[in-house]
Amino acid sequence: MARLIRTEKEVEGRYEDVWIVVDEDALDQWPAGPLTTVGRAVPRVDGLDRARGQAQYTADIKLPGMLHTAVLRSPHARARVTSLDLDAARASRGVRAVLGPGELDVLAEEPGYVGQAVAAVAAETFGQAHAAVQALDPQWEVLEPLLNPDEAVRRESFVSDPKTYERGDFERGVAEADVVVEAEYRTQVVLHNSLETHQAICHWEDDGITVYISTQYIWGIRDSVAGHLDLPPDKVRVVCHAMGGGFGSKNGPGDYTPIAAELAKRTGRPVKCALTRREENIAAGNRNATIQRLTAGAKADGTLVALGGEFVNAIGFAGWSASTEGPMKMLYACENVRTVQYPAKLNLPPMAAFRAPGFVEGTFALECLLDELAAKLDVDPLELRRRNYASSDRVDDRPFSSKNLEECYRRAEPHWAKRNEVRARSNGPWQHGIGLASQIWYGGGGPPSYAWIRLGADGRAQVVTAMQDIGTGTRTAMAQIAAEELGIPVEHVQVSLGDSARGPFASISAGSSTIPSMGPAVRSAAADAKRQLIELAAQRFHLEERVLDIKDAQIVSSDGSSWPLTQITGLLEDGQILGKGSRGPNPAGMQVLTFGVQVAEVAVDTETGEVRVDKIVAIHDVGRVINKLGASSQVEGGIIQGVGHTLSEERIVDPETGSILNRTLDAYKVPTIADVPEIVTDLVDIPDEHLTNLGAKGLGEPPIIPTAAAIANAIRDATGADVRSLPISREEMLRALQEARERERRGAPAAV
Amino acid sequence: MELLRPSSADEAAAALGNGSVALAGGTEVVPLLRDGLLRADTLVDVGAAVPRGVDETRIGAGTRLAELEVAPQVPQALREACSLAASPQLRSMGTIGGNLLQATRCWYWRLGFDCWLHGGERCFAKDGAHREHAIFGNERCASAHPSDVAAALLALGATVRTTQRELPIAELYRLPTADDRSTTTLGPDELILELEVPAADASTYLKAMDRRKWAFPLVGVAAVRTGGAIRMALAGVAPIPWTLDAATDLDAATPLPGTAYKVEIARALVRRAVEHVSSQQSP
Repeated sequence: MARLIRTEKEVEGRYEDVWIVVDEDALDQWPAGPLTTVGRAVPRVDGLDRARGQAQYTADIKLPGMLHTAVLRSPHARARVTSLDLDAARASRGVRAVLGPGELDVLAEEPGYVGQAVAAVAAETFGQAHAAVQALDPQWEVLEPLLNPDEAVRRESFVSDPKTYERGDFERGVAEADVVVEAEYRTQVVLHNSLETHQAICHWEDDGITVYISTQYIWGIRDSVAGHLDLPPDKVRVVCHAMGGGFGSKNGPGDYTPIAAELAKRTGRPVKCALTRREENIAAGNRNATIQRLTAGAKADGTLVALGGEFVNAIGFAGWSASTEGPMKMLYACENVRTVQYPAKLNLPPMAAFRAPGFVEGTFALECLLDELAAKLDVDPLELRRRNYASSDRVDDRPFSSKNLEECYRRAEPHWAKRNEVRARSNGPWQHGIGLASQIWYGGGGPPSYAWIRLGADGRAQVVTAMQDIGTGTRTAMAQIAAEELGIPVEHVQVSLGDSARGPFASISAGSSTIPSMGPAVRSAAADAKRQLIELAAQRFHLEERVLDIKDAQIVSSDGSSWPLTQITGLLEDGQILGKGSRGPNPAGMQVLTFGVQVAEVAVDTETGEVRVDKIVAIHDVGRVINKLGASSQVEGGIIQGVGHTLSEERIVDPETGSILNRTLDAYKVPTIADVPEIVTDLVDIPDEHLTNLGAKGLGEPPIIPTAAAIANAIRDATGADVRSLPISREEMLRALQEARERERRGAPAAV
Repeated sequence: MELLRPSSADEAAAALGNGSVALAGGTEVVPLLRDGLLRADTLVDVGAAVPRGVDETRIGAGTRLAELEVAPQVPQALREACSLAASPQLRSMGTIGGNLLQATRCWYWRLGFDCWLHGGERCFAKDGAHREHAIFGNERCASAHPSDVAAALLALGATVRTTQRELPIAELYRLPTADDRSTTTLGPDELILELEVPAADASTYLKAMDRRKWAFPLVGVAAVRTGGAIRMALAGVAPIPWTLDAATDLDAATPLPGTAYKVEIARALVRRAVEHVSSQQSP
């Protein structure tokens, strides 16, 4: 029965209270452990299509008569457009339409960062559009930019109000502590570097518009385009069949979607607006920089009695302020916690969600601080974490729906026990060490989400839902869930997704929510179809429904007899079995979170500052695992991105003008395959008994969260040096080594 | 834009100058043209005009880095410099002649800032972001020369033969001056044809980068031993490839606040390179 509930909805750690219509989630969970297909390693159902180049990405789409767009972007961090020759651009060869500043919300008259869109041109070719943008000959009044985050805090330049949090009495905690450590950590701006740049093609047909777009949320695009064009949402169709990476930066429409939509409206032609690689690195969002000034106090036995911090999020010109303080509030059972967060508004490109926004940055600082504390207390870092284990959510005083972090720690022990063996590999300037860090994050998903199943005479099923597969293997996981419930081979299930006009509403693919939001809806739809099949079989074979089941595409009876499923479905001829399902509510009064721990082995060349990550063991608790192969791919991807974030990636800004200096892939250094360590994935795979009919949480974000701190802590183990700033470049590594040497000279003991 | 494909060096040299630019592997010229940092009315494809391949100690300017890294007769330092450069795709296209003429990777220069090296008044890197920049020869311009290969050839004492002359490779480069901001002595209508690379008793090239592959050098060190004499040259430390007469010359470095770490790396790599070539027997 449909039920109206008031519930908390969480995406990327942000909560809102909403009314939601849900169906009961009446199915019992499957038993734990690998089943027929769920919980096993299943190669991607669309793997061959992708490898052969047959999967259709937005970048592959060429519509007849399609126009191309070039965008004039501000070369100044803060400026006013004083003149713009729109007529010259209109008169330029091949040009079909020109949009000037103020004609759309996303075209600024007074741009506030390098890369902000000011004007746009649609022409027959991209080259012509680009030439017309040159013809605009913009003149600027350049204004003084604000680039320094601490200065922004002093001037109270914020994108939203600062946030404070306190539980217990932080000052008293510090006073009662036997040991206190204080440190300042900094994290850099990193760029998503989606292989498929942000882009959309808009095409007016009859009285509606079709948007082909590289997106993580086709329904969000539908609503935002409808809003821009003042259309009923049903007049907007959004299509995304395959998608070349988003990592949080493709949750919204950006500037390219409204630009393409408006230009399509004005020209009556399909219009493509695609960011170039260089625009991608200035105008597609970023993980914002942070400054974190932290304090931890503990009793001599390691009990944390105070955690506190000032967190400056250097947001840029716009965006939202992620919870960098989240891990400090949530990870440990500390009585006295005080945090204050400042969302600094700067004349720099806006942030966009990037794989566990806030928690990646906050975990780096917190988990390094914990190890600095462990060194000072002379307590084993793993033991310190266990002593402060949070057995319930301390922020809202609620139980966790499930938490198996202790099991993660137990599984980490044999790797952690290799510390002496790894250190003994040290040879000459190369020093080896091991470090670990814990992870906490959301990933419970939520309603609403819906799915349909249709099953024909051939006994094959199609899952129909208007979700998107953002490259994470969603098609495969949904096929597995439907196959498991229906009792048919996974090859007999096809998944139709990526089109808002074909199938019911489905959730955003962000915040590690795809599996926990969509999976239960797909299972529920499959169960509905299965129920109907059993009803038919009972009538056909004159048996009671309760004695019948479906396994391996056979109707089986409890007395041992069986019939091919097609004996029932074959009766349908052109008829179909239609199942419908929806995502039930999250468990009331419980905190749904994911947990984990990573152990890193590194080697540091203490003379040249080179850091080599040899191995990372990733142990995560994300409830039930649907696809072991897809899950390990997610872990590997997260860690590789994490290694880049830790060692080599940094957007570099000119401190005077605010210009972005490294816009190309040679200058902005993502890891190469040679930089990738051995990665060992170990997933606890215990279903969350309180969460949905699957007990599965999301895994997209957890693996990137603890990587930087695990590496930094391994560096401390190897060298005694405290690295506190990302990326750990040669410069930062040599600085930290020098500081450690000076500390030793002054007589203070090094951390090891 | 016009593309010419001359079949001889003389023909190619005649076509150069006056707004035409030589094109070999295209890994540098094409991006520079696209970014408007290099202007050309005519591109002269010199693929058929310059020699390609290794003949004892002679290396054709059109030889690909990928060919050199596996050529057994090529001294170790040059082979290592080639194999540590760029990516396999780029090494398969990029020629040794073109590699020597690469422009700096200075981000201000590459973004077209009106900087001193472009003919302007000031070096933006000196007051700005400069972690990749120079520690020597940086009084007017802090750019760093990106060529690994040039440092190896400098230490090896290679000779360059052009369409007009023969010169020691050290004389191919010049620090830019107020009245001439170019970093090479090559004329606009002059083409590198060949390199003469004398054999060495032992040689090596060591390179520090921001990641393990496909990055320009933060510091590259080439060391070459001939008999008892060791010659050294550095990449990534000055606007041009930099000869180091002795390890103690590093004391005379003039790093910027953000490049002091490069001196420390250079000291370690110089010591390692010298130790390595000192302990190696003649091939």
